[in-house]
Amino acid sequence: MPEIKVTPLGAGQDVGRSCILVSIAGKNVMLDCGMHMGYNDDRRFPDFSYITQNGRLTDFLDCVIISHFHLDHCGALPYFSEMVGYDGPIYMTHPTKAICPILLEDYRKITVDKKGETNFFTSQMIKDCMKKVVAVHLHQTVQVDEELEIKAYYAGHVLGAAMFQIKVGCESVVYTGDYNMTPDRHLGAAWIDKCRPDLLISESTYATTIRDSKRCRERDFLKKVHETVERGGKVLIPVFALGRAQELCILLETFWERMNLKAPIYFSTGLTEKANHYYKLFITWTNQKIRKTFVQRNMFEFKHIKAFDRAFADNPGPMVVFATPGMLHAGQSLQIFRKWAGNEKNMVIMPGYCVQGTVGHKILSGQRKLEMEGRQILEVKMQVEYMSFSAHADAKGIMQLIRQAEPRNVLLVHGEAKKMEFLKQKIEQEFHVSCYMPANGETTTIFTNPSIPVDISLGLLKRETAIGLLPDGKKPKLMHGTLIMKDNSFRLVSPEQALKELGLAEHQLRFTCRVHIQDPRKEHETVLRVYNHLKGVLKDYSVQHLPDGSITVESILIQATAHSEDQGTKVLLVSWTYQDEELGSYLTSLLKKGLPQSTS
Amino acid sequence: MAMSFQKPWFLARARRRFAMTRECALLLPRVCAALADPRQPGSDDTCLEKLLDWFRELTLFDSTVQLVQDNPCLTEFITSVLALPEPSPSILSFTLRLAGILAASENRFQHLQQEKLLARLFGRDGPPNSAVWEDASVRSGWVQGVHNMMHHQPALHLLCSGGGIDVIFTLQGDPSLFVASAASQLLVHMLTLSVESETTKPLSTKDCDWPACAQMIIKRIEDSLQSSSASHIEQSLKLLTSLFGSCRATWTEVLWLGVAKQIESFLTEETVQVQHMLANLLLNMAWSPVFRDTEGSFWALVTSALEHLTPVQAGPLAVGILRLYKCPQDVRIQALTVLLQPMDCILRAASQPLEYAGLLDESVSDPITVESLLSSRSSCANLLCQTLAHLEQLLSLSRLPVDLPYTSLLRSLMTILQFCNGFLSPASPLGSTISRILINCFRVQRSALDVLAALSERKGSDTLIGSLFDLLLAYLESPNTSPTVLKKTFQATSKWLVRLQELSCSNSQGQQTEKILEDVFLVLQKRLCSPCWEVRDSSLEFLTVLIKCLRDQDEFRQSLLSSEVPRLTENLLEDPESYVRASAVTAVGHLAFITYFAPESPVVGNQYNKENTVAKLQEILSTDPEGFPRRAVISIFIKWLRQGCTGQLEDTEQFVSRVIQTVEHDLDWEVRLGGLELIEVFCSQTICQLGLLQCPYAPVSSAVTSSTHWNESLQVFCRAKLFSFLFRSLCDCDKPVGQRACDVLLGLRSNFYPVSTLEGSQGTGDSAVGIAWLQRTLRQGSLAQNFPTDGSNGVDFQDPENMMLALGAVALEELHDELNRSSDHVEKSPQSLLQDILATVGTIEENEADCY
Repeated sequence: MPEIKVTPLGAGQDVGRSCILVSIAGKNVMLDCGMHMGYNDDRRFPDFSYITQNGRLTDFLDCVIISHFHLDHCGALPYFSEMVGYDGPIYMTHPTKAICPILLEDYRKITVDKKGETNFFTSQMIKDCMKKVVAVHLHQTVQVDEELEIKAYYAGHVLGAAMFQIKVGCESVVYTGDYNMTPDRHLGAAWIDKCRPDLLISESTYATTIRDSKRCRERDFLKKVHETVERGGKVLIPVFALGRAQELCILLETFWERMNLKAPIYFSTGLTEKANHYYKLFITWTNQKIRKTFVQRNMFEFKHIKAFDRAFADNPGPMVVFATPGMLHAGQSLQIFRKWAGNEKNMVIMPGYCVQGTVGHKILSGQRKLEMEGRQILEVKMQVEYMSFSAHADAKGIMQLIRQAEPRNVLLVHGEAKKMEFLKQKIEQEFHVSCYMPANGETTTIFTNPSIPVDISLGLLKRETAIGLLPDGKKPKLMHGTLIMKDNSFRLVSPEQALKELGLAEHQLRFTCRVHIQDPRKEHETVLRVYNHLKGVLKDYSVQHLPDGSITVESILIQATAHSEDQGTKVLLVSWTYQDEELGSYLTSLLKKGLPQSTS
Repeated sequence: MAMSFQKPWFLARARRRFAMTRECALLLPRVCAALADPRQPGSDDTCLEKLLDWFRELTLFDSTVQLVQDNPCLTEFITSVLALPEPSPSILSFTLRLAGILAASENRFQHLQQEKLLARLFGRDGPPNSAVWEDASVRSGWVQGVHNMMHHQPALHLLCSGGGIDVIFTLQGDPSLFVASAASQLLVHMLTLSVESETTKPLSTKDCDWPACAQMIIKRIEDSLQSSSASHIEQSLKLLTSLFGSCRATWTEVLWLGVAKQIESFLTEETVQVQHMLANLLLNMAWSPVFRDTEGSFWALVTSALEHLTPVQAGPLAVGILRLYKCPQDVRIQALTVLLQPMDCILRAASQPLEYAGLLDESVSDPITVESLLSSRSSCANLLCQTLAHLEQLLSLSRLPVDLPYTSLLRSLMTILQFCNGFLSPASPLGSTISRILINCFRVQRSALDVLAALSERKGSDTLIGSLFDLLLAYLESPNTSPTVLKKTFQATSKWLVRLQELSCSNSQGQQTEKILEDVFLVLQKRLCSPCWEVRDSSLEFLTVLIKCLRDQDEFRQSLLSSEVPRLTENLLEDPESYVRASAVTAVGHLAFITYFAPESPVVGNQYNKENTVAKLQEILSTDPEGFPRRAVISIFIKWLRQGCTGQLEDTEQFVSRVIQTVEHDLDWEVRLGGLELIEVFCSQTICQLGLLQCPYAPVSSAVTSSTHWNESLQVFCRAKLFSFLFRSLCDCDKPVGQRACDVLLGLRSNFYPVSTLEGSQGTGDSAVGIAWLQRTLRQGSLAQNFPTDGSNGVDFQDPENMMLALGAVALEELHDELNRSSDHVEKSPQSLLQDILATVGTIEENEADCY
């Protein structure tokens, strides 16, 4: 039976790095190729040795698909293509292809900034990798090879994020990547058509949560920034170069405009310009409101947000600074943090996840005395706030997507085991489909029941229609014939035609069975008893006693002989053709019960 | 030029970083208690992993019981996790691995066994019998824990007597790839440990007395090989493959002889399909001297495998054999036949009937299987790609143990490439089928071009060079060539152009070369204007490679300069795509070597204006919004300076000064780093030119020091405003910049201060007021922000005397050591990790489930 196999190398019952292998109809596809930022060694990348065991990567994998530009979905890609040696096609949407190298480069710079980092990709490798990427449009069916095709759907979440449908023949899988079912300030909601895939692989980050509205979180954020600035404090917002930073910039820009605020807002990296350029370039990927107002006012051209210079950090008075990196573990953001941490009027807002070991993680977990280099102790008096702006579908959203796509099976990834377990039960109850949640390294096998198109010969069709009722286009109809599979095509023809085409002679196949009956009488008497018995039971059938002593019931032949060692036992040889199989087996079971006394 | 300040105590300090300090010992009990507390939310997996890393470091060089004795919380932790009715899978998995690490030494093993902890964790009634065993992380933790512990006989006995071997054998078939693979590795490790630590006399086939544990494992291997289950056979073959791959002891042959017959039968057995596993097994054996050096039976088996396995299965074995230097000649020939057969078929498929053009002697090749694979759509590309990859592997070896028929190989590669772009549709049925399958097949094109590039370095394939360039040019010109294929075509073309130049020097093929070069530049012109940035970028990279390799060749220079390529390249300095701008900068920088900087520049007129180009690159350096082009400019400037292209000292001084003033405010630290490298080169050249030293940066004795010279060079450096950038950089927020600046300053100081005088002057406190300020601000790390321009407290960075004082007074070595540590060394420390785990206890769960 055809099957689809799914093995997560990452994102199986965790929210680490996504990397999922899918085998469908003989094709192997890797979905996402993410990096775990919590490690400084090879553990940050998925363990690809499990794929290289199958021979050369490029021969084994048919393609790699990247859902969006977040590093936990694309961060290992240059390592995979330039260091591990994958040389095949890579697919992502146009915005992802444009933005991905910015984030990879940003992270590379932060990583090599630290000493002792080895086995990390270079700038040239990022470029070489990006040159292998084939960019796709939404809803465009891309033919990877003759059998394998992929199609992207809008996923919300971040600019350019997509869900991908992977299809081979009539079997298909949909991978959601990260998605958001409610529109936010600059992006729309995820959407997919009723494509009824054999399997839907869905993220489940907020599997058990019904999230409070993003508007609330935004209001809270603005209130906190406003209060700090009003009392003359400085606000530091550590961010990665692209993604959440733009969202928060739009938020602050609009708020500053509305409230007529004067405190300066700075963005510390030179990357904003490029990032904003991409938001402008890919305006069609943003939500309707942004697209509509674009003509009057471009949301990404900021009036209040200006480029930061290192000397500004010492300026007196309130200000808001966006600085990289987002986890306060090196570079500019850490330097500003050290300057401002000692003043309780200031505030740092962490808008994203921080890995263990970083200053960001420490202050979020409440540590207020930090040992810095040279045994200096930094006392953190500034206020510390965590605000998640990540845009994932919550439990309600996930259910909504399943309702939209109508998959035959669901598989959950990118979530915590306990939460997944809860959602899995909910999905199985509500939709009556199987739901799986493999751990990393575990393979889930899903059996599919694909329908295969077959051409039917006109002769056979006419003959079958002549026998039965007029064909009803909407109802399935049973047809009998010989299936010829040749040159990748399937044809149903009449057996005679098949014999003729293939140059074969017809053979008759008969089934036989021996039934032992206790009867001391002579053979011909036993035969007569059997004949009478059958005639009595099978009233609607033609039962004949032939001159040679054998009995026929339709095409079934019965002969009786005495047992060679025991004359009291008679052996009945029953034989029948394939067409009369039902009757043949009925007869044997009837005879096995023995002959009734009354017929004697 | 960079100097090494690595000191022997540096490593010792790194080791100290992981030591169990007093602070850590105080934190550990609380951490253990928090981890064992089921009411606490689970700790981040990375924390647990890092904690295990730390314990691994702590126990690596210490086999005593001190760690467990001094920190009883560790055993208490294990005990309390064992007592939990429903431990969380991640904590149990952590406990199993931790216990394994601690029990890696026999002393600590006995200590833990006093309370039977290990028996409870890894014995019969341990986790394998509990409900949590369902969780893959627990099974994985169990296998890893056993593996961590498995370094001595008591551990072996614990496992063997407690039914552990059965568990491990079962886990070989685990649904989790990670667990299955770890179980297999563990068995290999246990088998090796058992034989090597428990055998009293050498083992031989006649008198084979395996130790008990080894005996159990071998028996299981033999049994499963004889079973009818393909998965059991596969597991044992996998185990043997990794055993023979990792262990080269003579006893492996004794083990092999016991299973050889059975394994041999798999080659011809049709009921059990495990043939695909045999190639790897035999290959690992072939690399082991135990088998490789034997005569007869092993090689006979290899020969048989090469015959019986399908071409796809036999390919990896064949290429592995061909890489061996020690191998019987007949086996080598057979391997070569397997490898070349698809290429041979391609040649024959393309040739006319009755014309022999194959690669192989017809008597040794049986092409039916290969032909059928090549004529099937599903297998053709796979077989060709595999063969081509193997050929590339062989050709990349510097010394090939086998002779390849280069000319025929080249011909078959060209045939494949012609099939792929539809240039060849042969009349033979096989040929026409293959050509139909291969048309526009990018995978095969890429692989074939890789081999083609590798083949350029082998002599003997030159007769076809004319038609080869026709083909390459066709690929370069065709609009159907995909960007990735085009890039590979460029790579192959550049390699063959170098080969062509070598040939034209030795023969008189000048005209042919000229024509080819003209054609190449014509097509390059078109490609530089491609709407696709990937193509423009690959074209520029191709041009740079050509200039690097061929800039000394007259024909090349003339063809290039008479084409439109240089003008188009300069235009691309304004490309909208930053990657392309960066590549254009590099190409223009290299072009300069054959235009302005060439001793006999063939350029006539002012078509190439040096000042214009330098100004353009300067502009990119100061205004380009992206890092790549700016980094490319600074690299080119460094290259120019190294090659002495920037003119006389005075011009160079001005040039460097201008560049430095531009880059010192750059937001990209790699650009600033480039600026420091530029300074380093400039300083060494200046010092050399002013006759101070022959060898820059070498320490000098006071006798040699000439005050006039150093005065002069110091004045140059001050005028060029190098010092302000260097001292500012010491406090750069990006560490590599600080490190590099410190290196340069240390180098300068060693030139200006003889070692003896330095020792005397440092730390005497007689430095000027300004220098004291400099030292103080450097310590505070805030120089970059509060840089004074004047005032009594300030330092005049342009005053040579002041700078001489600063160089002598600032504690650069101390600063160097400080900077040389990784920027997150504090956060990476075990103490920080323990604090983080404690601090996370009870924090909001939401923080954990988020994306980056």
